[in-house]
Amino acid sequence: MIRVPAVAREIDQARIDAYARASGDANPIHIDAAFAAATSFGGTIAHGMLVMALLAEMMHAAHGEAWVRTGALKVRFKAPTRPGDTVTASAGEPRQAAGRIDYPVQCANQRGEVLIEGRATVAAP
Amino acid sequence: MSSRSAIPVTSLPKGHAFARVRFTIDRAQAAAYLEATGDTTDYGDALPPLAVVALALGALQEQIALPEGALHTGQEVEHRMPATAGEALELRGQVAMRSERQGFVITALDYTVSGVHGDVVTARTTIMAPAPGGGA
Repeated sequence: MIRVPAVAREIDQARIDAYARASGDANPIHIDAAFAAATSFGGTIAHGMLVMALLAEMMHAAHGEAWVRTGALKVRFKAPTRPGDTVTASAGEPRQAAGRIDYPVQCANQRGEVLIEGRATVAAP
Repeated sequence: MSSRSAIPVTSLPKGHAFARVRFTIDRAQAAAYLEATGDTTDYGDALPPLAVVALALGALQEQIALPEGALHTGQEVEHRMPATAGEALELRGQVAMRSERQGFVITALDYTVSGVHGDVVTARTTIMAPAPGGGA
């Protein structure tokens, strides 16, 4: 079974702003500090898809082209990622069934809070 | 991607079909996406599949108004085949599920991005938003 090394990265406001420009998702909760301060979050939060990208990167690094051709991700966003958080994407013990490898995956912050949880699958070699 | 009138996500009925969107992702856009995410893995000539989903979701958001307090609560993505930079892509999507619970409307959007050779990615985005008037 292919080992999937973890990926860790700081998510700062500059990265969130860059992601908003690159993706076209300019929701003010992500990029407008004054707006976000008045919401229940009390400040900006990262796009869920930006944090989820760490899972895709992790799986691509491990599985290469097979990930691009056959990969799948199914996740729930459980908690917000705030500017300055260092997020670690990791995969648990894989299972193989029906020609696919199935990994439990998650993203957690530096306090150990789980931000994203779900499963990643890819065709078995 | 063109601008269209946006419908509040809480008003979208199950089965609502979004206007199809034709778009491309050029090398500069793909590079900007990878720079923003920090992903330095090598995709060769292929677009990162999650970049395709992210830009498709951005295009869908031109047709959806999200109220304050709306949350992206879930995401599913299945890769079908790689797309390349500059390839003509088409996004089609619909509301797959709508429910109301405890003052929130939960909406699942299903969408597919196709390229010149067939489907590139399929995806489901789940959004939870406060129900209008605070009631369910």
